[in-house]
Amino acid sequence: MVLSKQELKEVENTFIGLLKNEIGPLLKSHAGTNLQSYDDKSNGVDLVTALDKKIESIIKSELASKYPKFKFIGEETYVEGVTKITNDPTFIVDPIDGTTNFIHGYPYSCTSLGLAEMGEPVVGAVFNPHLNQLFHASKGNGAFLNGQEIKLTERPLILQKSLVALEGGSERTESSQGNFDKKMGTYKNLLSESGAFVHGFRSVGSAAMNICYVANGMLDAYWEGGCWAWDVCAAWCILRETGGIMIGGNPGEWNIPLDRRCYFAIRSGCEPKDQKQFAEAFWSHVAGKLEY
Amino acid sequence: MTVDLASIEKFLCDLATEKVGPIIKSKSGTQQDYDLKTGSRRVDIVTAIDKQVEKLIWESIRAQYPTFKFIGEESYVEGESKITDDPTFIIDPIDGTTNFVHDFPFSCTSLGLTINKEPVVGVIYNPHIDLLISASKGNGIRVNGKGFDHQAKLESMGSLVLNKSVVALQPGSAREGKNFKTKMATYEKLLSCDYGFVHGFRNLGSSAMTMAYIAMGYLDSYWDGGCYSWDVCAGWCILKEAGGRVVGANPDEWNIEVDNRTYLAVRGTINNDVDEQKKYIKDFWACVDGQLKYD
Repeated sequence: MVLSKQELKEVENTFIGLLKNEIGPLLKSHAGTNLQSYDDKSNGVDLVTALDKKIESIIKSELASKYPKFKFIGEETYVEGVTKITNDPTFIVDPIDGTTNFIHGYPYSCTSLGLAEMGEPVVGAVFNPHLNQLFHASKGNGAFLNGQEIKLTERPLILQKSLVALEGGSERTESSQGNFDKKMGTYKNLLSESGAFVHGFRSVGSAAMNICYVANGMLDAYWEGGCWAWDVCAAWCILRETGGIMIGGNPGEWNIPLDRRCYFAIRSGCEPKDQKQFAEAFWSHVAGKLEY
Repeated sequence: MTVDLASIEKFLCDLATEKVGPIIKSKSGTQQDYDLKTGSRRVDIVTAIDKQVEKLIWESIRAQYPTFKFIGEESYVEGESKITDDPTFIIDPIDGTTNFVHDFPFSCTSLGLTINKEPVVGVIYNPHIDLLISASKGNGIRVNGKGFDHQAKLESMGSLVLNKSVVALQPGSAREGKNFKTKMATYEKLLSCDYGFVHGFRNLGSSAMTMAYIAMGYLDSYWDGGCYSWDVCAGWCILKEAGGRVVGANPDEWNIEVDNRTYLAVRGTINNDVDEQKKYIKDFWACVDGQLKYD
């Protein structure tokens, strides 16, 4: 079974209703009020709140009642090594993307609802209730911001003139073979006058929001390692519907699975050959292969 | 001379939202032609709109406050424009010009006033997300014209501790030499689990918006070098009214001038706990690897 364009649009509308009516208001009213009461995940930087779990269970039960045959993968219920993305229609959900932002009240936490089929993102909705930005798309149906179709102005895409999203992430152990040192080395190469000398980098602290901003051209690209399928699934679909591309963070990875954990999003508004050239120029500054 | 700071704040708010904001919003992302301030491969960008907006602000201000001095980013002459004790408007027509060119929704206008070299009025307006933050000395801060209870916000945030904080960092446009090295090394130390191990860093690409966000309790601190008085003047007044503090980016620079060029801005603390704030500043300075220096 492959879902039709119409069926995908219905899922998109279900996502929109759920986000606007139930999840968004919850996120907005609780942001920045929980600083003293978070669990430590791996090292205390990756923060999880009780609300994260609560929101995921609301989403899971609402989607299950409407789409009982679809599978469900969520950040809070994921089991490493056990949970796998199959070819079946599968909801891939992050209840609160940008949990650190959420805890600190920085207005870039959002909910990310995706649907994958045959391992490919086919529906996505990302809602930031603090700034009232709802990005949504489904395969073949275009991408929208708050109901308005996203259309990028045609313009050149050149590494030196680009604005790129980069994040520190929560893995911070210093070692010459580790991902942290490779990331910092890459950032330095991108910024340096003797390197790529990009216009600048931005960091909003949410993978989903970064990809959405690439999708509508506010950012030119986003390079990341360490995030998960639920961080990228929804926004990936939105990006692709605008003509943007998602490839791997490591050089040469033109085709990647959803759970590659190492991603590189590039905006549209130019020819595919310009995107390819941009990717190759960017990859030449990557300081060592990221491994997860 | 007595100056009614509240009425100046109101005047600047109206100017920002009615005249300046609409221009920034409508022109954002449309300026494919821009000058590179110095050299051929620089990334310090200025557009024709910056100059046009500064002229508009200057003319509006001069009509209302003809005796006050004026320093603006676009009319500034290095070595000549000096901040004196006189009432001086210090303004950045468009802060976050790179954002403006790329249509990243964090360009804003930043309008400040100093008297006796101290920032006493500050108004920052981001038309993309329709956010107006303003303050004047002794009058607290307002968000979109409504009073903002910063103490209540600080109470919900808990204590100010380096390894639980979210820090704003911006590499700026100078990307070679000692300062660039110091910045990158310091970022790494702040992030590293062996040193600062902060919760995270954020980069909005606008000093003014960053300081406004600290005042609103969205961020804990901001460390930067290379910016100018007009980048920080308005934000400094706003932050101070919200219990925050601005010191130098280099260790032990407890008292600095508006044009210090290096800054560490830190949020307020519950019940104005000055010692907690001081400890945060010292812990932060301990991660500074090298010295930022600007001519």
